[in-house]
Amino acid sequence: MSKAPALELIDIHKTFTDVEVLKGISLKAYDGDVISILGSSGSGKSTFLRCINLLENPTKGEIIFNGESLKLTSSGRDLAAADMKQLTKMRQQIGFVFQSFNLWPHMTVLQNVMEGPSHVLKRPKHEVMDYAEHLLNKVGIADKKHMYPNQLSGGQQQRVAIARTLAMDPQVILFDEPTSALDPELVGEVLGVMRKLAEEGRTMLIVTHEMSFAKEVSSEVVFLHKGVVEEKGTPDKVFNSPDSERCRTFLSSTY
Amino acid sequence: MIDLHGFGDQLLQGALITVELAMASLGVGLVLGLLGAAAKLSSIAPLRWLATIYTTIVRGIPELLTVLIIYFGATIVLMAIASQFGYDDYIEVGPFTAGVTALGLTFGAYATEVFRGALQSIPKGQHEAATALGMGAFRKFQRIILPQVWRVALPGLGNLFLVLLKDTALVSIVGLDDIMRKANIAVSSTKQPFLFYATAAIMYLLLTIISMVVVTWLEKRASRGMRRG
Repeated sequence: MSKAPALELIDIHKTFTDVEVLKGISLKAYDGDVISILGSSGSGKSTFLRCINLLENPTKGEIIFNGESLKLTSSGRDLAAADMKQLTKMRQQIGFVFQSFNLWPHMTVLQNVMEGPSHVLKRPKHEVMDYAEHLLNKVGIADKKHMYPNQLSGGQQQRVAIARTLAMDPQVILFDEPTSALDPELVGEVLGVMRKLAEEGRTMLIVTHEMSFAKEVSSEVVFLHKGVVEEKGTPDKVFNSPDSERCRTFLSSTY
Repeated sequence: MIDLHGFGDQLLQGALITVELAMASLGVGLVLGLLGAAAKLSSIAPLRWLATIYTTIVRGIPELLTVLIIYFGATIVLMAIASQFGYDDYIEVGPFTAGVTALGLTFGAYATEVFRGALQSIPKGQHEAATALGMGAFRKFQRIILPQVWRVALPGLGNLFLVLLKDTALVSIVGLDDIMRKANIAVSSTKQPFLFYATAAIMYLLLTIISMVVVTWLEKRASRGMRRG
Protein backbone atom coordinates (compact mmCIF):
# COMPACT_ATOMS: atom_id res chain seq x y z
CA MET A 1 0.00 0.00 0.00
CA SER A 2 1.33 3.43 -0.89
CA LYS A 3 1.87 6.34 1.50
CA ALA A 4 -1.09 8.17 3.03
CA PRO A 5 -2.14 11.34 1.21
CA ALA A 6 -0.66 14.63 2.42
CA LEU A 7 -4.08 16.17 2.19
CA GLU A 8 -7.45 14.54 1.88
CA LEU A 9 -10.82 16.21 1.58
CA ILE A 10 -13.88 14.07 2.07
CA ASP A 11 -17.36 15.00 0.95
CA ILE A 12 -17.02 18.78 1.36
CA HIS A 13 -20.35 20.63 1.25
CA LYS A 14 -20.92 24.35 1.47
CA THR A 15 -24.20 26.23 1.52
CA PHE A 16 -24.40 30.02 1.37
CA THR A 17 -27.75 31.37 2.63
CA ASP A 18 -29.88 29.18 0.37
CA VAL A 19 -27.50 28.19 -2.38
CA GLU A 20 -25.57 24.94 -2.15
CA VAL A 21 -22.26 25.86 -3.74
CA LEU A 22 -20.44 22.62 -2.99
CA LYS A 23 -22.36 19.37 -3.13
CA GLY A 24 -19.89 16.88 -1.79
CA ILE A 25 -16.37 17.14 -3.17
CA SER A 26 -13.63 14.70 -2.29
CA LEU A 27 -9.99 14.95 -3.26
CA LYS A 28 -6.68 13.35 -2.32
CA ALA A 29 -3.32 15.03 -2.77
CA TYR A 30 -0.14 12.99 -2.29
CA ASP A 31 3.26 14.55 -1.75
CA GLY A 32 4.48 16.02 -5.00
CA ASP A 33 1.06 16.14 -6.63
CA VAL A 34 0.14 19.18 -8.66
CA ILE A 35 -3.62 19.24 -8.95
CA SER A 36 -5.35 21.83 -11.10
CA ILE A 37 -8.97 22.61 -10.39
CA LEU A 38 -10.87 23.97 -13.36
CA GLY A 39 -14.41 25.12 -13.84
CA SER A 40 -16.49 28.07 -14.92
CA SER A 41 -17.16 30.87 -12.48
CA GLY A 42 -19.77 29.80 -9.98
CA SER A 43 -18.64 26.20 -10.14
CA GLY A 44 -17.45 26.46 -6.53
CA LYS A 45 -13.76 25.94 -7.16
CA SER A 46 -12.53 28.92 -5.10
CA THR A 47 -14.97 28.14 -2.30
CA PHE A 48 -13.67 24.59 -2.25
CA LEU A 49 -10.08 25.78 -1.94
CA ARG A 50 -11.03 28.21 0.84
CA CYS A 51 -12.77 25.42 2.75
CA ILE A 52 -9.52 23.46 2.96
CA ASN A 53 -7.88 25.82 5.47
CA LEU A 54 -11.19 27.07 6.83
CA LEU A 55 -11.05 30.56 5.35
CA GLU A 56 -14.57 29.45 4.60
CA ASN A 57 -16.31 27.11 7.01
CA PRO A 58 -17.70 24.08 5.19
CA THR A 59 -21.25 22.99 5.94
CA LYS A 60 -20.27 19.34 5.98
CA GLY A 61 -17.21 17.24 5.31
CA GLU A 62 -13.87 16.11 6.63
CA ILE A 63 -10.38 17.51 6.19
CA ILE A 64 -7.43 15.23 6.83
CA PHE A 65 -3.94 16.66 6.80
CA ASN A 66 -0.97 14.32 7.21
CA GLY A 67 -3.25 11.60 8.47
CA GLU A 68 -4.66 13.87 11.14
CA SER A 69 -8.33 14.74 10.89
CA LEU A 70 -9.15 18.37 11.58
CA LYS A 71 -11.49 18.50 14.54
CA LEU A 72 -14.71 20.24 13.58
CA THR A 73 -17.72 21.23 15.57
CA SER A 74 -21.01 22.60 14.35
CA SER A 75 -21.46 26.35 14.56
CA GLY A 76 -24.86 27.43 13.33
CA ARG A 77 -25.37 25.70 10.01
CA ASP A 78 -21.67 25.40 9.25
CA LEU A 79 -18.78 23.54 10.81
CA ALA A 80 -16.01 25.41 12.60
CA ALA A 81 -12.68 24.36 14.07
CA ALA A 82 -13.11 22.66 17.41
CA ASP A 83 -9.45 23.06 18.28
CA MET A 84 -8.03 26.45 17.29
CA LYS A 85 -4.49 25.29 18.08
CA GLN A 86 -4.79 22.40 15.68
CA LEU A 87 -6.23 24.64 12.97
CA THR A 88 -3.52 27.26 13.44
CA LYS A 89 -0.82 24.63 13.22
CA MET A 90 -2.38 23.20 10.09
CA ARG A 91 -2.65 26.64 8.50
CA GLN A 92 1.04 27.20 9.15
CA GLN A 93 1.77 24.16 7.00
CA ILE A 94 -0.71 24.87 4.22
CA GLY A 95 0.23 27.91 2.19
CA PHE A 96 -2.42 30.01 0.49
CA VAL A 97 -1.86 32.34 -2.46
CA PHE A 98 -4.71 34.76 -3.13
CA GLN A 99 -6.07 36.11 -6.39
CA SER A 100 -5.65 39.66 -5.09
CA PHE A 101 -2.18 39.03 -3.53
CA ASN A 102 -3.20 40.58 -0.18
CA LEU A 103 0.29 41.80 0.61
CA TRP A 104 0.44 44.04 3.68
CA PRO A 105 0.85 47.57 2.35
CA HIS A 106 2.49 49.00 5.47
CA MET A 107 5.42 46.61 5.26
CA THR A 108 8.24 46.42 2.74
CA VAL A 109 8.57 43.42 0.46
CA LEU A 110 11.21 41.92 2.76
CA GLN A 111 9.09 42.52 5.88
CA ASN A 112 6.10 40.88 4.20
CA VAL A 113 8.13 37.74 3.53
CA MET A 114 9.72 37.73 6.99
CA GLU A 115 6.52 38.28 8.95
CA GLY A 116 5.38 34.64 9.03
CA PRO A 117 8.64 32.91 9.95
CA SER A 118 9.71 35.54 12.47
CA HIS A 119 6.40 36.32 14.17
CA VAL A 120 4.44 33.10 13.71
CA LEU A 121 7.17 30.46 13.71
CA LYS A 122 9.43 32.61 15.94
CA ARG A 123 12.61 31.75 14.09
CA PRO A 124 15.68 33.89 14.77
CA LYS A 125 15.69 37.09 12.78
CA HIS A 126 19.04 36.79 10.96
CA GLU A 127 18.15 33.29 9.83
CA VAL A 128 14.76 34.48 8.59
CA MET A 129 16.30 37.42 6.76
CA ASP A 130 18.74 35.22 4.86
CA TYR A 131 15.98 32.81 3.93
CA ALA A 132 13.63 35.63 2.86
CA GLU A 133 16.33 37.08 0.62
CA HIS A 134 16.97 33.67 -0.85
CA LEU A 135 13.26 33.27 -1.63
CA LEU A 136 12.97 36.75 -3.13
CA ASN A 137 15.90 35.89 -5.30
CA LYS A 138 14.16 32.72 -6.35
CA VAL A 139 11.02 34.57 -7.46
CA GLY A 140 13.18 37.25 -9.10
CA ILE A 141 12.37 40.22 -6.85
CA ALA A 142 15.58 40.46 -4.81
CA ASP A 143 16.30 44.00 -6.07
CA LYS A 144 12.91 45.26 -4.85
CA LYS A 145 13.15 44.00 -1.28
CA HIS A 146 13.07 47.44 0.32
CA MET A 147 10.15 48.68 -1.76
CA TYR A 148 6.53 48.70 -0.64
CA PRO A 149 3.89 46.51 -2.35
CA ASN A 150 2.11 49.51 -3.88
CA GLN A 151 5.27 50.39 -5.76
CA LEU A 152 5.27 47.05 -7.58
CA SER A 153 3.35 45.71 -10.57
CA GLY A 154 0.69 43.06 -10.03
CA GLY A 155 2.96 40.30 -11.29
CA GLN A 156 5.73 41.38 -8.94
CA GLN A 157 3.27 41.57 -6.03
CA GLN A 158 2.04 38.07 -6.70
CA ARG A 159 5.60 36.76 -6.80
CA VAL A 160 6.24 38.41 -3.42
CA ALA A 161 3.05 36.79 -2.12
CA ILE A 162 4.35 33.40 -3.28
CA ALA A 163 7.66 34.07 -1.51
CA ARG A 164 5.73 35.04 1.63
CA THR A 165 3.94 31.69 1.50
CA LEU A 166 7.13 29.74 0.79
CA ALA A 167 8.82 31.36 3.80
CA MET A 168 6.62 29.24 6.06
CA ASP A 169 7.98 26.05 4.41
CA PRO A 170 4.47 24.79 3.76
CA GLN A 171 3.91 21.17 2.93
CA VAL A 172 1.04 22.00 0.57
CA ILE A 173 0.35 25.26 -1.26
CA LEU A 174 -3.11 26.31 -2.38
CA PHE A 175 -3.32 28.81 -5.25
CA ASP A 176 -6.63 30.61 -5.70
CA GLU A 177 -6.67 31.94 -9.27
CA PRO A 178 -3.21 33.45 -8.83
CA THR A 179 -3.10 35.11 -12.23
CA SER A 180 -6.72 36.21 -12.67
CA ALA A 181 -6.12 39.74 -11.37
CA LEU A 182 -3.10 40.33 -13.60
CA ASP A 183 -2.70 42.13 -16.89
CA PRO A 184 -2.13 39.55 -19.62
CA GLU A 185 1.53 40.49 -20.12
CA LEU A 186 2.25 39.82 -16.42
CA VAL A 187 0.69 36.36 -16.24
CA GLY A 188 3.78 34.61 -17.63
CA GLU A 189 6.17 35.68 -14.89
CA VAL A 190 3.90 34.29 -12.16
CA LEU A 191 3.25 31.04 -14.02
CA GLY A 192 7.03 30.75 -14.51
CA VAL A 193 7.58 30.81 -10.75
CA MET A 194 4.78 28.29 -10.20
CA ARG A 195 6.20 25.99 -12.84
CA LYS A 196 9.53 26.09 -11.05
CA LEU A 197 7.83 25.11 -7.78
CA ALA A 198 6.04 22.23 -9.49
CA GLU A 199 9.34 20.99 -10.90
CA GLU A 200 10.84 21.07 -7.40
CA GLY A 201 8.21 18.53 -6.38
CA ARG A 202 6.07 20.81 -4.24
CA THR A 203 2.55 19.70 -3.50
CA MET A 204 0.17 22.21 -5.05
CA LEU A 205 -3.57 22.66 -5.55
CA ILE A 206 -4.24 25.29 -8.16
CA VAL A 207 -7.56 26.88 -9.03
CA THR A 208 -6.91 28.41 -12.41
CA HIS A 209 -8.20 29.51 -15.79
CA GLU A 210 -4.82 29.02 -17.44
CA MET A 211 -5.60 25.90 -19.43
CA SER A 212 -2.29 25.34 -21.17
CA PHE A 213 -0.45 25.81 -17.88
CA ALA A 214 -2.74 23.32 -16.16
CA LYS A 215 -2.22 20.84 -18.95
CA GLU A 216 1.56 21.16 -18.80
CA VAL A 217 2.33 21.10 -15.08
CA SER A 218 -0.46 19.11 -13.46
CA SER A 219 -0.29 15.53 -12.37
CA GLU A 220 -4.05 15.56 -12.05
CA VAL A 221 -6.83 17.80 -13.30
CA VAL A 222 -10.23 18.16 -11.66
CA PHE A 223 -13.15 19.78 -13.43
CA LEU A 224 -15.88 21.15 -11.20
CA HIS A 225 -19.36 21.98 -12.37
CA LYS A 226 -22.13 23.33 -10.16
CA GLY A 227 -20.45 22.09 -7.01
CA VAL A 228 -19.66 18.55 -8.04
CA VAL A 229 -16.60 16.87 -9.57
CA GLU A 230 -17.70 16.41 -13.14
CA GLU A 231 -14.44 15.02 -14.51
CA LYS A 232 -11.08 14.10 -13.07
CA GLY A 233 -7.94 12.39 -14.24
CA THR A 234 -4.59 12.97 -15.87
CA PRO A 235 -4.26 16.15 -17.96
CA ASP A 236 -4.14 14.00 -21.07
CA LYS A 237 -7.39 12.30 -20.17
CA VAL A 238 -9.28 15.45 -19.12
CA PHE A 239 -8.07 17.62 -21.97
CA ASN A 240 -8.07 15.10 -24.79
CA SER A 241 -10.76 12.56 -24.05
CA PRO A 242 -13.06 13.69 -21.25
CA ASP A 243 -16.04 11.51 -20.44
CA SER A 244 -18.18 14.43 -19.47
CA GLU A 245 -19.98 16.37 -22.13
CA ARG A 246 -19.96 19.51 -19.97
CA CYS A 247 -16.22 19.28 -19.52
CA ARG A 248 -15.77 18.98 -23.29
CA THR A 249 -17.95 22.04 -23.87
CA PHE A 250 -16.10 24.02 -21.21
CA LEU A 251 -12.71 23.18 -22.64
CA SER A 252 -13.68 23.89 -26.20
CA SER A 253 -14.96 27.32 -25.21
CA THR A 254 -11.93 28.30 -23.16
CA TYR A 255 -8.98 26.33 -24.46
CA MET B 1 7.40 92.91 26.37
CA ILE B 2 3.87 92.54 27.68
CA ASP B 3 3.62 92.99 31.44
CA LEU B 4 1.78 90.01 32.94
CA HIS B 5 1.95 91.50 36.44
CA GLY B 6 3.91 88.53 37.74
CA PHE B 7 1.33 85.97 36.54
CA GLY B 8 3.55 84.61 33.75
CA ASP B 9 4.88 81.73 35.85
CA GLN B 10 1.38 80.90 37.03
CA LEU B 11 0.13 80.71 33.46
CA LEU B 12 3.02 78.43 32.45
CA GLN B 13 2.22 76.12 35.36
CA GLY B 14 -1.37 76.14 34.13
CA ALA B 15 -0.18 75.20 30.65
CA LEU B 16 1.66 72.21 32.08
CA ILE B 17 -1.55 71.03 33.81
CA THR B 18 -3.52 71.55 30.61
CA VAL B 19 -1.04 69.41 28.63
CA GLU B 20 -0.99 66.71 31.32
CA LEU B 21 -4.77 66.58 31.40
CA ALA B 22 -4.99 66.43 27.60
CA MET B 23 -2.41 63.65 27.31
CA ALA B 24 -3.92 61.54 30.09
CA SER B 25 -7.42 61.94 28.61
CA LEU B 26 -6.05 61.04 25.18
CA GLY B 27 -4.61 57.82 26.58
CA VAL B 28 -7.88 56.86 28.25
CA GLY B 29 -9.88 57.94 25.21
CA LEU B 30 -7.82 55.95 22.69
CA VAL B 31 -8.25 52.76 24.71
CA LEU B 32 -11.99 53.40 25.14
CA GLY B 33 -12.31 54.23 21.44
CA LEU B 34 -10.65 50.99 20.34
CA LEU B 35 -12.70 48.95 22.78
CA GLY B 36 -15.87 50.78 21.72
CA ALA B 37 -15.17 50.16 18.04
CA ALA B 38 -14.39 46.50 18.66
CA ALA B 39 -17.64 46.20 20.63
CA LYS B 40 -19.69 47.92 17.92
CA LEU B 41 -18.32 45.53 15.29
CA SER B 42 -18.64 42.51 17.55
CA SER B 43 -20.88 39.58 16.68
CA ILE B 44 -22.07 39.57 20.30
CA ALA B 45 -25.23 41.66 20.44
CA PRO B 46 -25.04 42.83 24.11
CA LEU B 47 -21.57 44.26 23.42
CA ARG B 48 -22.96 46.21 20.46
CA TRP B 49 -25.79 47.57 22.62
CA LEU B 50 -23.42 48.53 25.39
CA ALA B 51 -21.19 50.46 22.97
CA THR B 52 -24.19 52.16 21.38
CA ILE B 53 -25.54 53.21 24.78
CA TYR B 54 -22.12 54.59 25.68
CA THR B 55 -21.64 56.67 22.53
CA THR B 56 -25.26 57.86 22.52
CA ILE B 57 -25.16 59.14 26.08
CA VAL B 58 -21.71 60.67 26.03
CA ARG B 59 -22.11 62.34 22.65
CA GLY B 60 -25.55 63.59 23.61
CA ILE B 61 -24.53 65.51 26.72
CA PRO B 62 -22.65 68.83 26.66
CA GLU B 63 -19.01 68.31 27.74
CA LEU B 64 -19.43 70.88 30.49
CA LEU B 65 -22.22 68.83 32.07
CA THR B 66 -20.21 65.63 31.73
CA VAL B 67 -17.39 67.26 33.68
CA LEU B 68 -19.76 68.48 36.40
CA ILE B 69 -21.66 65.19 36.64
CA ILE B 70 -18.46 63.13 36.88
CA TYR B 71 -16.89 65.51 39.40
CA PHE B 72 -19.86 65.61 41.76
CA GLY B 73 -21.30 62.20 40.89
CA ALA B 74 -18.09 60.24 41.30
CA THR B 75 -17.76 61.42 44.88
CA ILE B 76 -21.30 60.29 45.70
CA VAL B 77 -20.89 56.95 43.98
CA LEU B 78 -17.50 56.22 45.53
CA MET B 79 -18.72 57.16 49.00
CA ALA B 80 -21.79 54.98 48.61
CA ILE B 81 -19.57 52.05 47.62
CA ALA B 82 -17.11 52.74 50.43
CA SER B 83 -19.87 52.91 53.04
CA GLN B 84 -20.90 49.40 52.03
CA PHE B 85 -17.49 48.36 53.29
CA GLY B 86 -17.90 50.35 56.50
CA TYR B 87 -15.76 53.30 55.41
CA ASP B 88 -17.65 56.51 56.13
CA ASP B 89 -15.09 59.29 55.74
CA TYR B 90 -15.39 61.86 53.00
CA ILE B 91 -13.80 60.74 49.76
CA GLU B 92 -12.90 63.39 47.28
CA VAL B 93 -12.35 62.85 43.60
CA GLY B 94 -9.86 65.50 42.57
CA PRO B 95 -10.56 67.79 39.63
CA PHE B 96 -7.73 66.20 37.65
CA THR B 97 -9.10 62.65 38.00
CA ALA B 98 -12.60 63.86 37.25
CA GLY B 99 -11.30 65.79 34.24
CA VAL B 100 -9.42 62.81 32.83
CA THR B 101 -12.48 60.61 33.30
CA ALA B 102 -14.90 63.07 31.70
CA LEU B 103 -12.68 64.07 28.79
CA GLY B 104 -11.44 60.52 28.29
CA LEU B 105 -15.04 59.27 28.11
CA THR B 106 -15.91 62.00 25.62
CA PHE B 107 -12.86 61.45 23.41
CA GLY B 108 -13.48 57.68 23.56
CA ALA B 109 -17.07 58.05 22.38
CA TYR B 110 -16.11 60.07 19.32
CA ALA B 111 -13.00 57.96 18.70
CA THR B 112 -15.21 54.85 18.72
CA GLU B 113 -16.79 56.07 15.49
CA VAL B 114 -13.42 57.03 13.97
CA PHE B 115 -11.92 53.62 14.77
CA ARG B 116 -15.04 51.81 13.62
CA GLY B 117 -14.81 53.44 10.21
CA ALA B 118 -11.09 52.71 10.02
CA LEU B 119 -11.51 49.07 11.02
CA GLN B 120 -14.18 48.62 8.39
CA SER B 121 -11.97 50.15 5.72
CA ILE B 122 -9.37 47.39 6.04
CA PRO B 123 -10.05 44.89 3.22
CA LYS B 124 -11.03 41.36 4.20
CA GLY B 125 -8.02 40.04 2.31
CA GLN B 126 -5.66 41.70 4.79
CA HIS B 127 -7.18 39.63 7.58
CA GLU B 128 -7.26 36.49 5.47
CA ALA B 129 -3.60 36.72 4.47
CA ALA B 130 -2.64 36.75 8.15
CA THR B 131 -5.12 34.03 9.08
CA ALA B 132 -3.95 31.77 6.27
CA LEU B 133 -0.40 32.04 7.59
CA GLY B 134 -1.55 30.66 10.93
CA MET B 135 -1.30 33.96 12.75
CA GLY B 136 -3.33 34.19 15.95
CA ALA B 137 -6.05 36.80 16.36
CA PHE B 138 -4.07 38.99 18.77
CA ARG B 139 -0.90 39.05 16.71
CA LYS B 140 -2.90 39.69 13.54
CA PHE B 141 -4.52 42.70 15.16
CA GLN B 142 -1.25 44.03 16.50
CA ARG B 143 0.99 43.45 13.47
CA ILE B 144 -1.34 43.70 10.48
CA ILE B 145 -4.58 45.47 11.32
CA LEU B 146 -3.70 48.13 13.92
CA PRO B 147 -0.92 49.81 11.89
CA GLN B 148 -3.33 50.17 8.97
CA VAL B 149 -6.23 51.29 11.17
CA TRP B 150 -3.94 53.84 12.76
CA ARG B 151 -3.09 55.36 9.38
CA VAL B 152 -6.74 55.68 8.38
CA ALA B 153 -7.84 56.96 11.79
CA LEU B 154 -5.08 59.52 12.35
CA PRO B 155 -6.66 62.53 10.61
CA GLY B 156 -9.91 62.01 12.50
CA LEU B 157 -8.13 61.42 15.79
CA GLY B 158 -5.99 64.52 15.28
CA ASN B 159 -9.15 66.53 14.86
CA LEU B 160 -10.63 65.06 18.04
CA PHE B 161 -7.45 65.84 19.93
CA LEU B 162 -7.71 69.54 19.05
CA VAL B 163 -11.26 69.55 20.42
CA LEU B 164 -10.06 67.71 23.53
CA LEU B 165 -7.22 70.14 24.09
CA LYS B 166 -9.64 73.05 24.13
CA ASP B 167 -12.24 71.17 26.19
CA THR B 168 -9.68 70.92 29.00
CA ALA B 169 -10.63 74.54 29.76
CA LEU B 170 -13.99 73.23 31.01
CA VAL B 171 -12.31 71.41 33.86
CA SER B 172 -11.24 74.77 35.33
CA ILE B 173 -14.84 75.11 36.51
CA VAL B 174 -14.31 72.37 39.10
CA GLY B 175 -11.11 73.99 40.27
CA LEU B 176 -8.34 72.46 38.17
CA ASP B 177 -5.41 74.89 37.97
CA ASP B 178 -5.12 74.86 34.21
CA ILE B 179 -4.49 77.77 31.82
CA MET B 180 -8.10 78.88 32.01
CA ARG B 181 -8.32 79.00 35.80
CA LYS B 182 -4.96 80.70 36.13
CA ALA B 183 -6.15 83.31 33.65
CA ASN B 184 -9.36 83.81 35.63
CA ILE B 185 -7.39 84.27 38.85
CA ALA B 186 -5.12 86.80 37.17
CA VAL B 187 -8.14 88.66 35.80
CA SER B 188 -9.88 88.94 39.16
CA SER B 189 -6.70 90.12 40.83
CA THR B 190 -5.54 92.62 38.16
CA LYS B 191 -8.86 93.61 36.57
CA GLN B 192 -7.33 93.25 33.11
CA PRO B 193 -9.60 90.67 31.42
CA PHE B 194 -8.55 91.35 27.85
CA LEU B 195 -4.83 91.00 28.57
CA PHE B 196 -5.13 87.64 30.32
CA TYR B 197 -7.83 86.11 28.16
CA ALA B 198 -5.84 87.05 25.06
CA THR B 199 -2.71 85.54 26.60
CA ALA B 200 -4.62 82.34 27.41
CA ALA B 201 -5.96 82.25 23.86
CA ILE B 202 -2.45 82.53 22.45
CA MET B 203 -1.28 79.72 24.72
CA TYR B 204 -4.08 77.42 23.51
CA LEU B 205 -3.30 78.41 19.95
CA LEU B 206 0.38 77.52 20.39
CA LEU B 207 -0.55 74.15 21.88
CA THR B 208 -2.93 73.35 19.03
CA ILE B 209 -0.34 74.38 16.43
CA ILE B 210 2.23 72.07 18.02
CA SER B 211 -0.37 69.27 18.05
CA MET B 212 -1.10 69.78 14.37
CA VAL B 213 2.60 69.59 13.52
CA VAL B 214 2.93 66.36 15.49
CA VAL B 215 -0.17 64.85 13.86
CA THR B 216 1.09 65.76 10.38
CA TRP B 217 4.41 64.11 11.17
CA LEU B 218 2.64 61.00 12.48
CA GLU B 219 0.45 60.86 9.38
CA LYS B 220 3.49 60.99 7.15
CA ARG B 221 5.16 58.25 9.12
CA ALA B 222 2.07 56.05 9.15
CA SER B 223 1.48 56.32 5.43
CA ARG B 224 4.89 55.01 4.41
CA GLY B 225 4.36 52.61 1.56
CA MET B 226 0.89 53.89 0.75
CA ARG B 227 1.91 56.34 -1.96
CA ARG B 228 2.44 54.93 -5.38
CA GLY B 229 5.95 55.65 -6.51
